[in-house]
Amino acid sequence: MMLAFAALLCLASGFVLVSMGWFRRSPPRAALPLMLWLSIGYGLGIFSVVFLLSRIFVANLIVADVALFAVLLVAWWAISRSRPRLDAKTASSNSAQSPKWLRQSRSAAFAIALCSALYSLVMRALADPHGDGWDAFTTWNLHARFLFRGGLNWRDGFTPLHIWTHPDYPLLLPAAIAHFWSYLGRDEAAVPAIIGLIFTVATVGVLFSALSLLRGRTPAMLAATALLATPFFIELGTSQYADVPLAFYFLATVVLLCLYDGRPVDAKHSPGLLVLAGLAAGFAAWTKNEGVLFLCAIVLVRLLFLVKPAGKREMSQDPRKDWMALAWLIAAAAPALLLIAWYKHSVVPPGDLFANPAGTTLHKLLDPARYWAILQWYVKEFFRFGHWLLIPGTVLLVAFYFVAGREEGPRQPGFRTSVLALTLTLAGYFAVYLITPYEIHWHLRFSLARLFVQFWPSTIFLFFSAVRCGAEAQSNFPQPTAK
Amino acid sequence: MHESPPSSDHISQRVSIGALVFLLGCLLSSARVLMEAPAPSRLKESAAEIAKRSDLRFAALKAALPARGILGYVEDPSTTLPTDYYLTQYALIPLVIDHSPNHPLVIGNFPASPPSSASLDHLQLIKDFGNGVMLFANKDAK
Repeated sequence: MMLAFAALLCLASGFVLVSMGWFRRSPPRAALPLMLWLSIGYGLGIFSVVFLLSRIFVANLIVADVALFAVLLVAWWAISRSRPRLDAKTASSNSAQSPKWLRQSRSAAFAIALCSALYSLVMRALADPHGDGWDAFTTWNLHARFLFRGGLNWRDGFTPLHIWTHPDYPLLLPAAIAHFWSYLGRDEAAVPAIIGLIFTVATVGVLFSALSLLRGRTPAMLAATALLATPFFIELGTSQYADVPLAFYFLATVVLLCLYDGRPVDAKHSPGLLVLAGLAAGFAAWTKNEGVLFLCAIVLVRLLFLVKPAGKREMSQDPRKDWMALAWLIAAAAPALLLIAWYKHSVVPPGDLFANPAGTTLHKLLDPARYWAILQWYVKEFFRFGHWLLIPGTVLLVAFYFVAGREEGPRQPGFRTSVLALTLTLAGYFAVYLITPYEIHWHLRFSLARLFVQFWPSTIFLFFSAVRCGAEAQSNFPQPTAK
Repeated sequence: MHESPPSSDHISQRVSIGALVFLLGCLLSSARVLMEAPAPSRLKESAAEIAKRSDLRFAALKAALPARGILGYVEDPSTTLPTDYYLTQYALIPLVIDHSPNHPLVIGNFPASPPSSASLDHLQLIKDFGNGVMLFANKDAK
């Protein structure tokens, strides 16, 4: 009963937060599925932060949850009252449709991929309730247990004696798990298993609903089928690692940036979607260290777009509004960054990746053999990270691009920001491999495929945002008409 | 020679065929997703594996230990993978288990075979909990 109450509160908190970011008082029906799927990630992010704050300030968890929910509701009410009411009109009527045989085929393929993935997810969660692989019980669930069982002494577990547990890893996932355990009163293995499963399904949900909104049913179904048919994504989703939750927040950031920049000009002045994008990037940073890199990349790219000469500007022609938009993005990510800074400075020992002395790091940076080794692994993993059968998903995307071609017209800044930020993040991973204190091949072998999965949902989203998908690929994104 | 641009019908047909091939490629991997799902017959055994090696295995020992503190840890010196150590720590949270005998209380974990006397230098057995789980005292520990 308490667990159901916690789950409801988590989802409701996430939904109210997401609703605040939407730009109209009554969200259009077409956007509702996306808002619901996003709510799951935001709710779990909120639960994580609230749990840690309740541990730090020795506060009653239920009181903290209810108080925060009340604050969110009041804020939502105040914001919704202050906004002009806008009537949502869908941009296209979707009158032009793909051939019937294609619609039936895509629906059948999607249904098969969905059923296969759901069956596999449930069976995996039942077979490995403590997670599949070391990282589940040496890092994520172990930290969750220290947070839950440690009570006021939760910091005991984040000790230099335990460098092997990666105590410097951020706490979104462990603290969210510990939050639910607190309601339950015991550390039930089913909780991290269900959270892993929910993040996996929600990632597919965000991908599908965002593309449905922006491009229509056909691209949405093709994209969701591609993700559901990625065996390693499904496997990792129930391993109780943090890579799929991170992939969720990457995707949420990318989707919200594209939605913000794709909005009608008269609605653009409301920074709601940008604030949500900043929050998602902040949650990504609070999930894994790679998320910090991603957040920095997003901010850097937006900044670069702003400082371009006037004639070549990527955003609007009003620099003051663009600078304000960037400020909103940074301000939304700031709470998570502050929490991470406090956690890294005051609680945990330094991470292991930057443990090399400066001389050794320089030596590694100047070693061409390391560049070559990493490059080879990047190329190899491009073809195999998903554990696909016969035809790699990446090859399928490339082949589809050559057959279908890209949609005409310029790409909007949100799309460009996302592509550049993901590329920069990938380059950042490359740099970390260059200086890793571990044996480089061992490190690549046991981590690179997971890192690629972090990008996979966002890559599929960006691909189907840009590729031509036939007559049905038209935007359902609402075009408001102010009253 | 001037080539005329492809008609929108032609493009649409190409996209449709491309989409169909794309879906077929995806379905191949969906088959792998399905095939690699654990079989229902192995669920029960598989689900209990980690608990057997951690929570259940150390339940009696945990009841005999203090609520908080740092404990030492010894195992068979020939052990190559640290899995048993990790699972010991996982089970005994919120205690911190240091992989070293230099603590007043030391946990012995010998799941495969009884400990050799060489691996128990300076350690005095307090209690054998069975199943290779032991608790030692190290009087030399500072």
